[in-house]
Formats: sequence, structure tokens, C-alpha cells
Amino acid sequence: MHIDWFVFAAQIFNFLLLMYLLKRFLFGRILKAMDDREAKIAARFAEADALNEKAREAADLYEKRNLQVNEKIEQMLNEATLAAENRRKELMEQVRTDVEHVKARWQDMLKREQEAFFFDLRRRAAGSLYATARKALSDLADADLESRIIDEFVKRLGSLEEEKLAQIRKAVAAGGGRIAVQSAFEISAAQRTQIEKAVSEQIVRDATMRYLVEPDVVSGVELRVNGHKIAWSLNEYLETLVENLTETLQREAHAA
Amino acid sequence: MEIVALNQISPDQVILWTWKFITLNVTILYTWLVMAILVFISWLATRNLSSEMNVSRWQHFLEVIISVVRGEISEMTKKGADNFVPLIGTLFLFICTSNILVIVPGFIAPTSSITTTAALASCVFIAVPYYGISRNGVLHYLKEYFQPNFIFFPFHVMGEISRTLALTVRLFGNIMSHEKVVGILLAVTPLLFPIIMQALGLLIGVIQAYIFAILSMVYIASALSADEEGHAHAHTKKEG
Repeated sequence: MHIDWFVFAAQIFNFLLLMYLLKRFLFGRILKAMDDREAKIAARFAEADALNEKAREAADLYEKRNLQVNEKIEQMLNEATLAAENRRKELMEQVRTDVEHVKARWQDMLKREQEAFFFDLRRRAAGSLYATARKALSDLADADLESRIIDEFVKRLGSLEEEKLAQIRKAVAAGGGRIAVQSAFEISAAQRTQIEKAVSEQIVRDATMRYLVEPDVVSGVELRVNGHKIAWSLNEYLETLVENLTETLQREAHAA
Repeated sequence: MEIVALNQISPDQVILWTWKFITLNVTILYTWLVMAILVFISWLATRNLSSEMNVSRWQHFLEVIISVVRGEISEMTKKGADNFVPLIGTLFLFICTSNILVIVPGFIAPTSSITTTAALASCVFIAVPYYGISRNGVLHYLKEYFQPNFIFFPFHVMGEISRTLALTVRLFGNIMSHEKVVGILLAVTPLLFPIIMQALGLLIGVIQAYIFAILSMVYIASALSADEEGHAHAHTKKEG
């Protein structure tokens, strides 16, 4: 077997050259690319791991926050319920107070109406009683009721206590000796003389008398001296009557 | 037209040009052709290499080849494979390409010349001590020749020479004989049979390339450490 040593050397050179060229153009580049890619993949995995870790942390945090928020919501709900309950109680209290107030006002109004009614009733009853009494007196005794009233008034003047008389005298002196007599009817001259006589006997002489007709003084006579008053009228009786009547009516109303 | 006559055993005998001791024969010419093809394809394939996630088909193809080579090497050395990839990879690619191109009419595989296979085997013969010394140092490497005692030194040397010779002759014999067999069969049998033989030839060519590369690696690996020597010898025996 013949071996050409030049060709042998040339083939060794060729092989070494090919090795160099392939190393330069093939193996080096591919190995580098592969290593680079491996490194890149490893980096991506590391990154993914890091992201995963981060995501888990975020999820944990979120869960924790969620829990906190839920707790807070519950707490706030409880507080709100409590506040609402308190407010409800307050409102109820207020409504109760208002109702009480309205009730009181209503009762007040009712009472006033009642009073107005009784006032009216009293006046009518007084008027009616006056008319009836007058008619009865004139029918029965053939005496003028007005003169009887004057008589009764004079009698009362005569029977006044000394203490009261002293007060009246003092008042007359302070008022400049003026005495006013009010009555529901016109007082005749004879009757005036009768009154003046009683006044001069009991209170003071030479008083200036003034006579006024006042329908409000129901069937009676009033003597007014600077804030003091001596009177006789059917009013007193009527008031007693009205009081009795009122009591009866109220009892009836409460029973109802 | 026959380039190598049937009675010529090697393409070395077909001399195209000569000047003094410099001769240019068919072996060198086809070696250059194979080299040119390999370098061109390498340049073409690696010119747009990317280290991104999405890579081209070419790059995938090359990476598969390199990965296989790398995997085979690291299986044997149990250490970093990247140092040996250029040598073993070039051996494999050169022999494999030469053998596969045989199906192209008019192409003569450079590996069917004993000069080429001897040159390749010599490179391996030199690479074994080179890697052994660079890894473990001269003393440690030489000490391996006197194991288990100094009597074995001549046997170690003979082993080195004989396995180089075996590498040379195995590759040359397979490829050359295949070409001769196909040439003879073309003359005596119908068309279909040589085609089957050609297909078989491709298989043999790839297997021979693989064997050559693997054995080279085994020899280098055996020089790298004493621990791996037994393992490497076992491989050699199995193959032989």
C-alpha cells in the first residue's frame, strides 16, 4: 500500500484547517448561542420564580387586606346598627315628647273651650236665673227685685267687719273721697238716698257718689273705692251653681 | 466515465497535476470540496444565529447535531465536553459528509483513500497525549504507560500504535471496499440491486463516521484519567 507523504501532510493540514474553520463558523457560534439561550431560559425561569413569589406575596397581602376590610366592615356595620338603634330611641323619645306636648296642648285647649263654654253657660244661666228670680220675686212678693237687691246691699254694708271698713275708709281717703256704685239697672233717687245714708253712716260723710249702669254686674250692686269693692249680686250664687255644674260635668266626662 | 479505475485501489492514484514533490490528486481535490461545502453550510447556518426563544429550522438542526455530539462526549468524559466538540465534531462531520456524498455520481469519497484515513487517525494519535498532558501533566500521563508495572510499557505503546492503525484501516477498508463492490455489482447485476447497495452504503458511511468519532473520543477519554481508562478499554474491546 502506497502512502504519498505529501498528500498525507496535506490531508493533516486540511483537517486542521477544517477544524479551525468549523470551530470558528459552526461550533463556537452554536455553542455560544445554545449557552446564551440556556442562560436566558434560566434567567426567565428565575424571573418567573421571582414573579411567582411576588404574586404570592401580593395575593397574601390582598387576602390580609381583605380580611382587615371585612373586619372593618363588620365593625362599621355594628357601629351603624348601634347608632341607628340609639337614633331610633331618640326619635321615639322625641315623638313621645311631641305627642305629650300635643296632648297637653290639646288638653289645654279643651280646658279653655270648656271654660269658655262654662263662662257662657254661667252668663246665660245667670241671666236666666236673674230673669226668673226677678219674675218670681215680683210675682210672689209684689216687691221690686231691684229694691230688694238694694236692701240686701245696704244690709251688707251695715254688717261689714270693722277691719274691712277701716281699709275702705283708708282707700276712700286716698282716692279723694270718690265712691263709684255700679249696677246692672238704673238706681232710683230713693234708693240712692238709702245707699248714701248707709255710706255716710258706715264709711265716710260727704263722699262724692257716682252711679254707673254696668250690665256685667249681674243682677247686683257693686261699690268700688280705689281698688276695694263691696258687692252683692247673683254672681256669687251663680258661681256656686256653675262650680257644682262643672264638677258634675267633669265627673261625667272622666267616667266616659 | 470512471474517475478511479476499478483496478486502482485508492483515489490517490489519480493525479491531476504535479510539480516537483507537490502533487494534486483527486483525494485532495474532493477533500477541499467537502471542506468548502461544510464551511459554506456552517457560515450559511450560523450567520443569523439567535439566542432568542424562537430560532430557525437550520439552527434547530445544527443544535440537535451539536447537542448529540456534546451528549456523547460528556457521557464518556463525565467532564466538560466543549473542549472536545471541535475535534470530534469535525471528524464526524467530515467523514459523514464524505461518505454521504458518495451517492452523487462522480464523487469519490476522500475517506476511501488510506492517506486521508491515516492523516485523520494520526490527528487522533496526537490529540490523545495532547489532551492527556494538558489535563494531568506530563508525569502523570507517562506514568499511565507503566501501569501496572514497567513490563507493560511496550504493550501500551503497541496498543497506541495498533489502535491508530485500526482506525485507519477500518474506515479506509469499509469505504473503499464498498465503492469497489458497487462498481463490480454495476457491471454484473441489474440496476435495482446496486441502488440497494448504495442505500446500504449510506448507512455504512454514517455508522463508520460515528464509530471513528466515538473511538477517538474513547481514546482521548482514556488518557484523561486512570479511573476512566478501564471504562474506555471496555468500549474498545466491545467495538473491536
